[in-house]
Amino acid sequence: MEVGLLMLAGGIAAGAFGSLLGLGGGLLIVPLLSLGFGLPLREAVGVSLVCVIVTSSASAGVYLQRRQANLRLGMVLELFTGIGAVIGGAIAFLLDERLLAGVFALLLLYVAATMARAGRRGATPPASDEATSVVGDDVDSRADAEPDEAAATVDPDAGTLGLAPDRARRLPLAAAVSVGAGVASALLGIGGGIIKVPLMHVTLGVPLRISTATSNLMVGITASTSAIVYLLRGGIDAYATGPTAVGVFIGASLGSRLGHRVNVPFLRLLFVAVLLFTAFQMARRALGR
Amino acid sequence: MGLETQGGSGASGRGSPGRPAGPVRPADQSTPASLEVALAHVLAVGTYASIALVGIGSVLLLAGGASPLDGGPPLQAASVVPDLFALRPAGFLWLGIVGILATPAIRVIRAGLGFWRRGERGLALVALLVLAVIALGVLIGVLIGVVAG
Repeated sequence: MEVGLLMLAGGIAAGAFGSLLGLGGGLLIVPLLSLGFGLPLREAVGVSLVCVIVTSSASAGVYLQRRQANLRLGMVLELFTGIGAVIGGAIAFLLDERLLAGVFALLLLYVAATMARAGRRGATPPASDEATSVVGDDVDSRADAEPDEAAATVDPDAGTLGLAPDRARRLPLAAAVSVGAGVASALLGIGGGIIKVPLMHVTLGVPLRISTATSNLMVGITASTSAIVYLLRGGIDAYATGPTAVGVFIGASLGSRLGHRVNVPFLRLLFVAVLLFTAFQMARRALGR
Repeated sequence: MGLETQGGSGASGRGSPGRPAGPVRPADQSTPASLEVALAHVLAVGTYASIALVGIGSVLLLAGGASPLDGGPPLQAASVVPDLFALRPAGFLWLGIVGILATPAIRVIRAGLGFWRRGERGLALVALLVLAVIALGVLIGVLIGVVAG
């Protein structure tokens, strides 16, 4: 009972943190379950994938209704993230867990550095993962986007997938990188927004807000494709998934409603410290200590 | 492949470097495209129904005094319904988890049908390919399971 409640509380904390800072839950759930509760890393990744789908599906619906997610671009790119997810799901069971822990430690360090840099600029990093912040039909109210960005919606009259002709020519590159995002998602239990958002924003010239919403939409297919591989391989534990997924859902809903009242710069600083500590612990696991 | 939009959606905006020029449209929530609204509905219903099942399963699990670290039973399709009627947590948890995993695929099916009806055959084909990739994931999962014994 106590362990279950602790898992629920951990899920709530991960969901709320992720929501307030615009990060996907996977980055927090995997270390929480593997370092905090002693689950094997691959099992933690399987649980995390389920949690990531929950928050993605709940908020993607809101983004679609607000026309902030580019459905057509998202569907084309998720074809490639899906392919990557199948590849990642297949090789995840061949790789040494210590190697996965090492890669995860590097990812945590990268996100910590990105957040610290963004903190100095006073903005949320564009590398933010899938936006869990609209779970529960509430709007992300963080002042992390330029005024124009916040108002941007998807244009019904735009050309090929809504991209300018010079940007549309970069679609093959975007497709190739999307495969990589899918592999990373399947191996590490993350949404992959950390790759997809900058890809769409910088390479394809999609406004940041729409990139984030579109990435969020794509996470569902990416994570569910790899989660199916995990499920059929026995890599998802229903008992561990239950309280964690419910906690993450509650936490993400709370986070989206508390956004106005929280001191985000302080939270970001705290989060950077948590990420660095977690990266250290993951690195120790990678080194077998 | 005919991916130009026909009354569909593309991204536009201005105000930061590295994006196509074009006017930013104020957020217009009164007339969202019907397909987007339908997909939002699919995602909302799928997610809330699935998380409700997982929630019930979690309450039953914790009320029964079991630990989530005990290791739950593997998914067996034949035992889900009996577990539900017997109020065993595994039935609710597995049904909810499968619902969570299926919701994005149902969204793609619905989107594919919507594109087909609108005559956007290229995007309908993309939806079909996405479903094929998911099916490939199922096949790979089964094969890995068989090989691993």
